Amino acid sequence: MFDHGQPSYAEVNKDILSTMLETGPKYWMLLGMTMSVAGICFFMPWIYQLFVGVGAAGMNHNAVWGSYLSNFIFWIGLSHSGTLLSAVLHITNSPWRKSIYRSAEAMTLFSLMTATLFVMVHLGRVWFVHWSFPIPNQMGLWPNFRSPLMFDVMAITTYLTASSIFIYMGSVPDFAAVRDASTGLRRRLYTIFSFGWRGTAREWHTLGWAYTFFAVFVIPLAVSVHSIVSWDFALSAVPGFHHTIFAPYFVCGAIYSGTAGIVTVMYCLRKFLGFERYIGQVHLDSLGKLLITLSLIWSYINILELFTTWFGGTSFELEALSFRLTGFYAPLYWEMLIFCAFVPLLMLFKKIRWSWNKMLLISILINIGMLTERFIIVATSQPRKFLPDSFGYYVPSWIEISISVGSFAIFVTLFLIFIKWVPAISIYEVKETLKPLRRNV
Amino acid sequence: MSTFVEKLRQYSKPGYYDEFDYHWTMTIDLDRCTGCEACVVACQAENNLPIVGEERFAQSREIKWIRIERYWEGEYPNIKMGFIPMLCQHCDDAPCETACPVYATYHNQDGLNTQIYNRCIGTRTCAVYCPYEVRYFNWFTYTWDEPLEQQLNPDVSVREKGVMEKCTFCIQRIRIAKDNAKDDDRRRVRDGEVVPACVQSCPTEAMLFGNSKDPEAKVSKMMKNTRGYTVLEELNTTPSIVYLKKVHA
Amino acid sequence: MAILGSFAFEEDFLGAARKLKSSGFDKLSLLSPLPLEEAQEIMGLEKSPVRHFSLAGAIFGAIAGFAMAVATSLVFILPTGGRAIITVPPFLIITYEMTILFGVLFTLLGFHFVSGLPAWRDKPYLTSAGIDRFVVIVEGAAADQVARAEAIIRDAGADEIRHVEEDQ
Ligand code: SF4
Ligand code: SF4
Repeated sequence: MFDHGQPSYAEVNKDILSTMLETGPKYWMLLGMTMSVAGICFFMPWIYQLFVGVGAAGMNHNAVWGSYLSNFIFWIGLSHSGTLLSAVLHITNSPWRKSIYRSAEAMTLFSLMTATLFVMVHLGRVWFVHWSFPIPNQMGLWPNFRSPLMFDVMAITTYLTASSIFIYMGSVPDFAAVRDASTGLRRRLYTIFSFGWRGTAREWHTLGWAYTFFAVFVIPLAVSVHSIVSWDFALSAVPGFHHTIFAPYFVCGAIYSGTAGIVTVMYCLRKFLGFERYIGQVHLDSLGKLLITLSLIWSYINILELFTTWFGGTSFELEALSFRLTGFYAPLYWEMLIFCAFVPLLMLFKKIRWSWNKMLLISILINIGMLTERFIIVATSQPRKFLPDSFGYYVPSWIEISISVGSFAIFVTLFLIFIKWVPAISIYEVKETLKPLRRNV
Repeated sequence: MSTFVEKLRQYSKPGYYDEFDYHWTMTIDLDRCTGCEACVVACQAENNLPIVGEERFAQSREIKWIRIERYWEGEYPNIKMGFIPMLCQHCDDAPCETACPVYATYHNQDGLNTQIYNRCIGTRTCAVYCPYEVRYFNWFTYTWDEPLEQQLNPDVSVREKGVMEKCTFCIQRIRIAKDNAKDDDRRRVRDGEVVPACVQSCPTEAMLFGNSKDPEAKVSKMMKNTRGYTVLEELNTTPSIVYLKKVHA
Repeated sequence: MAILGSFAFEEDFLGAARKLKSSGFDKLSLLSPLPLEEAQEIMGLEKSPVRHFSLAGAIFGAIAGFAMAVATSLVFILPTGGRAIITVPPFLIITYEMTILFGVLFTLLGFHFVSGLPAWRDKPYLTSAGIDRFVVIVEGAAADQVARAEAIIRDAGADEIRHVEEDQ
């Protein structure tokens, strides 16, 4: 488990807390940079769009959904690894979970927030977004619970709530550790954050139970969230959207891209926060194996999708399919196949699976592929619906591209803020993986 | 209590609104249509459709609640051109309606698929779900240069950016006709009393509009014509517009 | 009067706790930097009542979710898509999400309820208990028992013993 010998308990505290308590100028520079990129690339174009209308983006009558939604699916997908993986591994009691789950969950939370932002960006009149929540009003008018978008609202609200609670409760003992290691204002803040945690047997016991229940709730939730996102598409009659396979397809794709995302984040934590001791080959290897499995499932579902479309043989579906495979966006389609189906197969070789740099590259390629996949789903189906009169094209505008780039900056910013507020690795769970101290050893 | 249970039972099965008075229906005779686009212009004048300009037209962001679709049949030189005026089909089982999270589009008691501009938050899901692609989104807020704003129809609201819109079957005219009928102490609007702008302007009288719940209405008789068909019938949207076309074998 | 004994080794700590427990010190707190199943056993903690909260929350959420969907569509009847007003399949999805939402919220509530947190007022505590020390705290010991408790703790191998005034 540990590449460089087992650390002592005190060392664990010191190593992990030091990343929070000691802040160098590099951090501030990086934070300033990502914040300004987020501001310039995301919020400024968005504000512009708010004033002129969604027409600032490239969508048109033939494709009213565009890259905002594909980005939304991408970020929701990225959110799927963290909490889901963490919960599954918690329940199956896998020891290698312990040092990676906190940042994986943070990833979940922040990609969910980014995804929610994309919904806002997507809406034509975002200033009325509260109408889609069941808020009592004097008009007696409620949202339409028959709408797949309403499922989305409910699912994402629940997911955001549940994963915030999940990550928060898992951090309470660590907040206590921060409290004990700090002074002044921070100490007072963390006293509040930690609820006055002392680590008594009763507290541990209750937390353990509550945590297990959170995990039990979160697993079906995560699966349902992405199924529901897929139903936004699959419940329409649009050729290319209307597949029953969509729910498992999206869920699998989500976990796939999320797991790749974890590898990327792991690399950064190791590299920039010096967690070499806690994030080791075991984690990389296990994640690599998981990625191969997911990539195979993903490829299988893709083949299935092609096959059922071809076998179904309705002219609409075939038209949409041929547009996807050979039309305007065909290069993107083939790029996606290479990045998501073929490149990951390299991980079958242990040499590659054990190399951080190669894994980083593969994980980034997978996520580029997955981003493209979502884009293809959104952009190639709508312009080839039913009536040939309305066939067309959709090309993202510079505003959309800028907002997509900016969203990554938002994500990184949130993450950077996170690592200064919450221990990026769970202190007490790392201690659990250490061999208990014995007097004679 | 028993009324409550009754209500529950009534509302848990589909099609409970069969008993309403009206079901507005249109028939379009494609064998008569010359593709003159008079209906397009009439609709644009009646319903305050914005003129988006050349650039936005090229981006296919025009707003035309009714459009003439043009199809070619056969090979040159035996080539024929066909037209299909395409407008909202006011589907009974409209896929667009269930998609809206805020009920901005719903089915009213006249069998119309309505769009409530004030309620629309612009998710554009309805436009994706509509197989006929007759929903148009306001990508921008459009304005009318002077003195063009003088010709706006006062019975129809002007939409702002971020709102979906589509053919309403000229609901303002239906409203007026219903009010008149009520003033005259009639229960129903007479056949031919409501004429939407597009129907009114059609020089070849290819279009007919009326209440198909009234078996005597012209439109009900026309619907039974053997040439009748509905577009994309296999999607089970049950459109309210019946097209008539003689099929050449 | 509370007695704190801090241990460097888990086994000593558990030994002391067991001894104290069997000698009748019931107001015992066992502080550890990581969850210890043995410590929980000593305290007689088995199944946590948190689970009842989870169940209650899930049931409440399910009922509330379905009821909300049905009731809101009945208060303002807006037919859509030729569907029934009470459309069960989509409402089940709402029910599902609400089940989980309230399951989680109630579990959170249960956690606070059962663990007694948040408790911000001062309680006997050693900061090292959050790092690498296992701490036994004996509270509410009668004056004549203090020495006995202290002896047990010392014999078990504590490296530090402290007395703290308990505030009521
Ligand atoms: S034609 Fe389209 S917009 Fe009109 S009712 Fe049918 S689905 Fe809705
Ligand atoms: S019925 Fe009225 S709103 Fe609809 S296309 Fe004709 S003129 Fe336009």
